[in-house]
Amino acid sequence: MIYKYLPAVEGEQRILARIDDDNKCRMTCTEQHPEYLAWVAEGNTPEPVDE
Amino acid sequence: MALTQVDQGLLSTNAQYTGFKNRIINGAMMIDQRNAGASVAGNSVYTLDRWQAFSSVNSKYNVQQTPSATETGYATRVNAGFTNYLAVTSSSAYSVGSGDYFGIEQPIEGYNVADLGFGTANAKTVTLSFWAYSSLTGTFGGALRNSAHNRSYPFSYSIPTANTWTQISITVAGDTSGTWVGATNGVGLDLVFCLGAGSTFSGTAGSWSSNNYLTATGATSVVGTNGATFYVTGVQLEVGSTATSFDYRPYGTELQLCQRYYLKNFFAPIAGYSPTSSRADGTVVFPVPMRIAPTALEQTGTASDYGVYYTGSGTTCTSVPTFASPTTAYGGYVRFNCSAVFSVGGGTLMAPYTTGAYLAWSAEL
Repeated sequence: MIYKYLPAVEGEQRILARIDDDNKCRMTCTEQHPEYLAWVAEGNTPEPVDE
Repeated sequence: MALTQVDQGLLSTNAQYTGFKNRIINGAMMIDQRNAGASVAGNSVYTLDRWQAFSSVNSKYNVQQTPSATETGYATRVNAGFTNYLAVTSSSAYSVGSGDYFGIEQPIEGYNVADLGFGTANAKTVTLSFWAYSSLTGTFGGALRNSAHNRSYPFSYSIPTANTWTQISITVAGDTSGTWVGATNGVGLDLVFCLGAGSTFSGTAGSWSSNNYLTATGATSVVGTNGATFYVTGVQLEVGSTATSFDYRPYGTELQLCQRYYLKNFFAPIAGYSPTSSRADGTVVFPVPMRIAPTALEQTGTASDYGVYYTGSGTTCTSVPTFASPTTAYGGYVRFNCSAVFSVGGGTLMAPYTTGAYLAWSAEL
């Protein structure tokens, strides 16, 4: 499982997509989401927006 | 004869005869929005609504809502009025270390237990009651805890006969010490059914402690036996020193109580608009205000489960619906992403394109 930033929308907070091991995105969230924060606290880093 | 005087005995009793005496939500295990009865690994996730599995090591047990009447002695449960139960099945024979812990808990929101007065000299006595069943016999354990986990009350109870539903009642004098969050949307009181814990998390039953105890010393370890079962239902926590009859609430009421913490919405089309040629935005109004503003949106993971109707046509999404702002405790703003077919500023209807499509938000404790 990884998190990846979605393209920014002007004036809105950044949104991340959680990509599960089967490569499906079943959740999108803000940078304040507790599950995402726990993942970051484990030493993980989100991937940047797809070019 | 006209009633002219209320029996003083009724007025002086501590028992609560009115509705909502039960501070536990989904105590009859009727609601399972996330999994609809499917089994999930007990890896620190919410299972049935309001019931969270927790563990220090993953994949040692599974949790499932079970509506069937197939277990040995099911008639006792059914006759007591409980059609569903929460079923735990151990998936290995794990030897619990001193720092290990496994269990099921329900964190109760502060607003729903503030009147108990825990942490004050006027703390009220409460009684926990439930029906329990296990393939194992002996002494089992659990605990009540505060939000900071620096006040806990380990309790024990006996299941003397295997595969037999047993009604348990435990009375707890309210805690007059420690810090309890009171009337807030934080964790006011945490109820734990322990499935195995090491010495660090085990303490003497029947008294309040400043340690983070999850169970009574010497309690049976469910995760210690591969295939062992532990079932529970009819969980009630009420004011007073006597367990009274279970507080059956209407299904719709119980569902709404759950939806304050998690909402899985098999939604009707959402009215919105297209701020760009490839986006449609709109708001789902929550059926009840959630505990806090959600920070995530869940969906099926399949873009073609969702679509948008616009000016006489319709199109499936090219990626899954995403969380958008402003999402508040009162409603979720969602974004549907499609190919560039919309008239900018035009009206849209965002819709499920398959029967299983949903949008879900969490505001769990």
